[in-house]
Amino acid sequence: MDLWNYLSIGFSVALQPINIFYCFVGVFIGTLIGVLPGIGPVGAMSLLLPATFQSTPEAAIIMLGGIYYGAMYGGSTTSILVNIPGEAASVVTCLDGYQMARQGRAGPALGIAAFGSFIAGTVSIVGLMLLAPPLSRFAVKFGPPEYFTLMVLGLTILIYLAHGSMPKALLMAAFGIVLGLVGLDSINAVPRLTFDRLEFLDGIGLVPIVMGLFGISEVLLNIEQEVRRDIFKTKIKGLFPTAQDWRASTGAIARGSLLGFFLGILPGGGAVISSFISYALEKRISKHPENFGKGVIEGVAGPESANNAAAGGAFIPLMTLGIPPNVVMAMLLGAFMIHGVQPGPLMMKESPGLFWGVIVSMYVGNIMLLILNLPLIGLWVQVLKVPYKILFPLILLFCLIGVYTVSNAVFDIYVMIVFGIFGYLMKKFDYEGAPLVLAFVLGPLLENNLRKSLIMSQGDFSIFFTRPLAAISLIIALFLLISPVIPWMGRKRVEIPKEDIS
Amino acid sequence: MKKDFFSSLFWLFIGVGVCYAGYDLKIGNFHDPGSGFIFFWVGIIMVGLSLIIFIQTIRMGPKVGEMKSLWSGVRWKKIISVLLALFLYGYVFTYLGFILSTILLLIFLFKTVEPQKWYVAVTGAILSALIAYGVFQLWLGSPLPKGLLNIG
Repeated sequence: MDLWNYLSIGFSVALQPINIFYCFVGVFIGTLIGVLPGIGPVGAMSLLLPATFQSTPEAAIIMLGGIYYGAMYGGSTTSILVNIPGEAASVVTCLDGYQMARQGRAGPALGIAAFGSFIAGTVSIVGLMLLAPPLSRFAVKFGPPEYFTLMVLGLTILIYLAHGSMPKALLMAAFGIVLGLVGLDSINAVPRLTFDRLEFLDGIGLVPIVMGLFGISEVLLNIEQEVRRDIFKTKIKGLFPTAQDWRASTGAIARGSLLGFFLGILPGGGAVISSFISYALEKRISKHPENFGKGVIEGVAGPESANNAAAGGAFIPLMTLGIPPNVVMAMLLGAFMIHGVQPGPLMMKESPGLFWGVIVSMYVGNIMLLILNLPLIGLWVQVLKVPYKILFPLILLFCLIGVYTVSNAVFDIYVMIVFGIFGYLMKKFDYEGAPLVLAFVLGPLLENNLRKSLIMSQGDFSIFFTRPLAAISLIIALFLLISPVIPWMGRKRVEIPKEDIS
Repeated sequence: MKKDFFSSLFWLFIGVGVCYAGYDLKIGNFHDPGSGFIFFWVGIIMVGLSLIIFIQTIRMGPKVGEMKSLWSGVRWKKIISVLLALFLYGYVFTYLGFILSTILLLIFLFKTVEPQKWYVAVTGAILSALIAYGVFQLWLGSPLPKGLLNIG
């Protein structure tokens, strides 16, 4: 079957009324949580996961995917108007976006963010469409050693790009692996670290951990001190950028789209990193780098395009290899599995409707977002005005319902609260949640592939070095791990702000 | 005292525990890894990493007041009351049922951290609980506990 046949299958799935509805719900909620500081796409996806139990896998993944790329759109609004990023990928948009708003140019800033996001989103979908099929065919040849080393590489890149201490990020990943392995051993059914609790036999749920680490802990941090948020009072007019704005932004959007897409594919990479690198790139090639931070439109167009393109690119490793490159995709992997679908190289062949339906739905979602974002900016501004004292009980309520409805077990509520306290302390002591969650999801796969590899090679570790892809992955991972002690590499390690969402 | 001093000791303790759990579960060998194989080696890595953090902290010398500034201005009463309310909510959830326990929790939360007027707290709590019930139980079909009121 050629690409056009696949696309027609995709359109036939994505354009079904029920899937259009789920796509709309996804991008709407995504934009909303992108606007609201304090609840990110991971939290929103956890919350809405139970809502997809009654639906088809296609509708479920279309909606959850919509939340992710919708949040990338919505995050820019708070960055520009309030100087508070709605989610981590929009941190850098604050620099020039807020300055533009202060100069009375909030409209063009919001407009270029929306148009840039739309263009980048479309570029990444085309890239996904073209790259996914050959990669899937290639990945069929992978064995346990390749999978094991690719996962090690993904985790290592995430750790390497972590914002603070590398030993701390590694510790979090190690602890995540331990948590992921709680429950029955998949090979010989021995209960492991269950402390004689029946509830732990199936392992610890992803949703209580994610809700605790990213939802409850964030609320605790926000209420520990009195914080006031001031919304920039300006009349938003002229959302359509002028011809001059377009001239300044076109290159930035193109570069941001390509950069974001390829960084999104990288395991451990993602929207946050690509937005920062795009900003740095625009500043470096600009004729007037001194104006960056004072309200230049390229400083908004580049990063906003990059983070949206990265959101699309991140689907590639998940859908072709079955390896989630970041926490949001890990959440999506959980959703696939709940619906009985195993993402990976065979997915395109076994579930073409789902595979291509999800890709095509992103086109539909991107158009919806463009339509949503521009006329509804007034509504998003009103949402921003909801005071935190009203918002936080509702966030807690959503977390509680979300966790309970996944398993109908009160025990999971307790697990979530415990991880909420743990996440709060982690943030106080500068430990990051992202490596923990990704390692938690990858832990069982890592162990399984490691044990299979060792059984295959009869205990010979050289299996990881004699197979080319495994060897390359492992060498890169080792190089990244030892890089902080190599002086010239240590200096180049990019400082990324806390990636508390993706 | 430095905050990393305490956190590294905590992780050292956890790492040793994970190692022991791996040993207890049978490590096996490289030809035939046992159930505790990965726990043991991950535990070793955790011990090593926590020792690295510990040594880094010691080498950097004392940092006066770091722990104190970490907790300065923290509204402990608010945090503890919210956490207690959440635990209590879990405890009474199935007994009182979703609607009643949620209304009580929300009234408490609306009144505790940044106190609202009673009518705002009560109306907000009832409306939020009913809307959540309507969306999750009636529309999405997620079974929520009926409890004392036997609603659902």
